[in-house]
Amino acid sequence: MAEHDELEGSVAAWVLGALEAGEIAAVRAHVEGCPICQATALRLGRAVGALPLAVEDATPPAALRDRILTAAATSRELLPMPANLRTPAQGILPAVRSTKVSGQRHGWVPAYAIAASVVVALAVGLVAGDALGRQSPPPAAVVRSTLVGHQGLAGAQANVIDLRSDGVALVDFNGLPQPGSGKVYEVWLITAGGRADPAGVFVPDPDGSKFVLVGRSLAGYAQMAVTVEVAPSGTLAPTQQPQLYGSIA
Amino acid sequence: MLVGPEAPEGLADIELVAQLAAGSQEALAKLYDRYGRLAYSVALRVLGDPGRAEDAVQEAFLKIWNHASTFDVRRGSLRNWLMTSVRNRSIDYLRGRGAHERQEVQLQPALAEASARSDPWREVSLSLERDAVREAMSNLPAEQRQAVELAYFAGYSHREIADMTRVPLSTVKGRMRLALEKLSSYLQGKGLIDG
Repeated sequence: MAEHDELEGSVAAWVLGALEAGEIAAVRAHVEGCPICQATALRLGRAVGALPLAVEDATPPAALRDRILTAAATSRELLPMPANLRTPAQGILPAVRSTKVSGQRHGWVPAYAIAASVVVALAVGLVAGDALGRQSPPPAAVVRSTLVGHQGLAGAQANVIDLRSDGVALVDFNGLPQPGSGKVYEVWLITAGGRADPAGVFVPDPDGSKFVLVGRSLAGYAQMAVTVEVAPSGTLAPTQQPQLYGSIA
Repeated sequence: MLVGPEAPEGLADIELVAQLAAGSQEALAKLYDRYGRLAYSVALRVLGDPGRAEDAVQEAFLKIWNHASTFDVRRGSLRNWLMTSVRNRSIDYLRGRGAHERQEVQLQPALAEASARSDPWREVSLSLERDAVREAMSNLPAEQRQAVELAYFAGYSHREIADMTRVPLSTVKGRMRLALEKLSSYLQGKGLIDG
């Protein structure tokens, strides 16, 4: 009861998202086990859910709708690569047509046609290779980095190939255990400020490898990390500390 | 004038989410047409910068687009999910991700606007809801309204608010609690939320 007396007063701040980071776990745990506080959180949470309606009405720019639809066209981020499209020697897919992307805001996603051309170019380059005349991107447009496994994923690693001129990245995972029933691996792109943006989910092949395409630019991100999350689509924010990560800056 | 989930004028949230999860761009366009204006209004309220508000709205819509299959109707409405995401993205832009751990998961069930109404009615319903919520907020004592606004729209923690307003933390907690209780009671009385 002493715990209830102490934490019950923080429920309102919790539903408002106004607790300090170090306070959240205790309040959340208490609410989960306290019927009184659950009822309070539910009741107050309904009020919080109404707060967005209190703002003054504003008209978004007409172009925002198209911008979002365009971005969505390429934001189903991870497209698992069929094993027969991999290049076994390096695990790298070199034949990508260099596609200039213009008119993006803040490094956001390319336009429909450009995005489609990147994906098509990737596929064409992978399948047809030299027969179609490869155009390797200029050296400065390809940046390689490595993700290293720790703790439970100590045997895993990944090679990241950031195809900057195309605004996509390829990641070659190896040594991954299966994530478990009802689980997937989720890739996160993390800014220097610590914000983690989801970049897609995957399940490794039985041999622990997977080649995936991150269909968005890595510009503005400092690290890539992987966590185990709930299948099939992962989560909006990481629920655990990553055990496979590395710098991509 | 409730309209059933098979109303021809508009898809229920759960149907819309199913289409989003299936990768329907048309569903995403419908989602934007339904909530884009409100989403932008929220982002602009938090950020005060149209360009950054656009970024936050885009990011929030893409979150929904990429995670539609995780939507659980029992945890709240699609609108609440989207608005929570818009608010959190906006606060992240404003104050940095490390300022707080965000609560992405919805605690609150939907307002009674309910996902099953048709689009024409939805517009009217939304307008009525907005009027009611604004009235409820305006009726709060200034210090209670301030505590809620600093937390929700500016992303400050209760301790930061206590420091800024130079009142004890327990007072800030009390103001938040009272404000939300009053809002809840008022909106419940208007039939906008469940008791």
